[in-house]
Amino acid sequence: MQQLTMKNKIYKILSIILKWVLILSISFLILFPVYWIVISSITPSGELFKTPIDYIPDHPTLASYQFLIENVGLLQKVANTCIIVGSTLIISTIFSVLAAYAFSRFKSKGITIAFAFIIATMLIPEVVTARPLYEFMQKVKLYDTYPGLILLYVSAVIPFTVLILSNFVAEIPISLEEAASIDGANFLQRITLVTMPLMKPAIATVCIINFVTCLNNFFTPLFYSNGIQVLSVAIVQLPLRDNMYAVPWDLVSAMGCIILLPIIIFVAIFEKQIMEGIMAGGVKA
Amino acid sequence: MKKKLSMKWIPWLMILPVLLIRGFTTIYPIFTTLWNSFFNIKILRGSSEFYGLQNYIDLFKDEKFITSIQFTFIFVAFSMVFHVILGVILALVMNMKFWGRRFLRTIVLIPWAMPAVVAGMAAKWAFNNDYGIINDFIRRFFHEFQLNWLVNTGTARISVIAMDLWKDLPFFAILVLSGLQFISGDIYEAARVDGANQIQQFFRITLPLIFKNVVTLCIPFTLWRLTTFDLVYSMTSGGPGEDTALIAYRITTEAFTNLNVGYASAMAIMLFLVMAVFSAVNIKVSNRVRTE
Repeated sequence: MQQLTMKNKIYKILSIILKWVLILSISFLILFPVYWIVISSITPSGELFKTPIDYIPDHPTLASYQFLIENVGLLQKVANTCIIVGSTLIISTIFSVLAAYAFSRFKSKGITIAFAFIIATMLIPEVVTARPLYEFMQKVKLYDTYPGLILLYVSAVIPFTVLILSNFVAEIPISLEEAASIDGANFLQRITLVTMPLMKPAIATVCIINFVTCLNNFFTPLFYSNGIQVLSVAIVQLPLRDNMYAVPWDLVSAMGCIILLPIIIFVAIFEKQIMEGIMAGGVKA
Repeated sequence: MKKKLSMKWIPWLMILPVLLIRGFTTIYPIFTTLWNSFFNIKILRGSSEFYGLQNYIDLFKDEKFITSIQFTFIFVAFSMVFHVILGVILALVMNMKFWGRRFLRTIVLIPWAMPAVVAGMAAKWAFNNDYGIINDFIRRFFHEFQLNWLVNTGTARISVIAMDLWKDLPFFAILVLSGLQFISGDIYEAARVDGANQIQQFFRITLPLIFKNVVTLCIPFTLWRLTTFDLVYSMTSGGPGEDTALIAYRITTEAFTNLNVGYASAMAIMLFLVMAVFSAVNIKVSNRVRTE
């Protein structure tokens, strides 16, 4: 008996050690590269060519950021990103709330097919539609315009948003709306005053997830715009420096930081909602 | 009577914007791609002649295409195997109770939330022989270590797969975690009473219960791997040579750089067919598993 508890104790200590080794190595694998990007962005570009790497910069400088603002038009790109992502969130939410309400409150064969259609279009990859869509956008003069980009961004988030919101509306009891209509509320009032307020948490969740999806969208701005640059495209089109390496790492790391820092703050604030949002999408998928 | 008629149109009005947008951005262009795949299109000369199935026949004689298919297959297979193994381990860790769990769950979201191109551009430098952190790290243990990861076919492919895992594994793990959270603590309590140790508990309880969830997750994750573009675009540009040109990258290069629109369309349609067949088979199988 004594031996057994001894064995148990060793076993327990070993499992605690294993657990912390795993936790610490996962944290290191994720955080260290991010830290490296951050310190590279404030290291003078000459000192980036050092082996071994100096992980605590001796002469921190904001020169790379200054270069980005003065010569690359960083502020314009930040503005472009905000305009496109902001408009996309507003428009996609309005359209998706309307559609989600219709999909879960009105049942008919046609409506069910339309819903299946929206979900099935998720299967069509962007690369398959890229060339004809590019020509189409040019023909209707939407190529390289804000409305054109916003349209494509909205399209990219619609299936996920509609799916999550319809599932959510389906769980709101219809009796609430019936009670309101007995009190004399018309159809529009039923939606805007009864159901929409109850959808707030779900709308917040999809907006948070869609915000990240839109920031990460690279394919759309790369192929359907040229003059209007967003941050995700800007990072691959930075001016090359005169060195033998094809990466202007000083600028790339600074641009990387400008993209990463808001994302890290955002993730830290909305960790719970993001987890819920991802899981809500995943369980149904 | 009038009210009834209008009520019938209201839901269609509400879904119209969504239907129109999705229709114009997916259905219309995919049929155009299908149509284009039967033509030999010369953009610069503005000519277009009917080509029948010649584009499709040419595909199988094209070494670049075959290399792409090979690497895409390797990429999907290796990446998915590691997604499942490491993803389950990461999910189990995130499901444990420990001080700082919320911190771990938060930082795990960082790779998911950042654009793949940021990870790809950083990786381009990280895998650099002289100044990258990968070799810097290895040299702290093996001083003479030299390896130019992205220059050799094998190591470039390993690097791309490793970056894909770094970026996407957390997302997979969070979805596995959502399955884990549905398992009630009572089952483990009962198992402990019966004398099962943690390893037995994992193989006898946890794994069977999340198995279906993990298999279902593999469907969208495999489809996403098949269309991976951003990472390769930013990290290797398909190099060395064409050895890391995933099929999605190959298609856009043909369509936008080489301007072989008909040929690129044939590739795109092949990719779509593979994806459609893959999903159809999987949906059928998973429906059968569910009804059993």
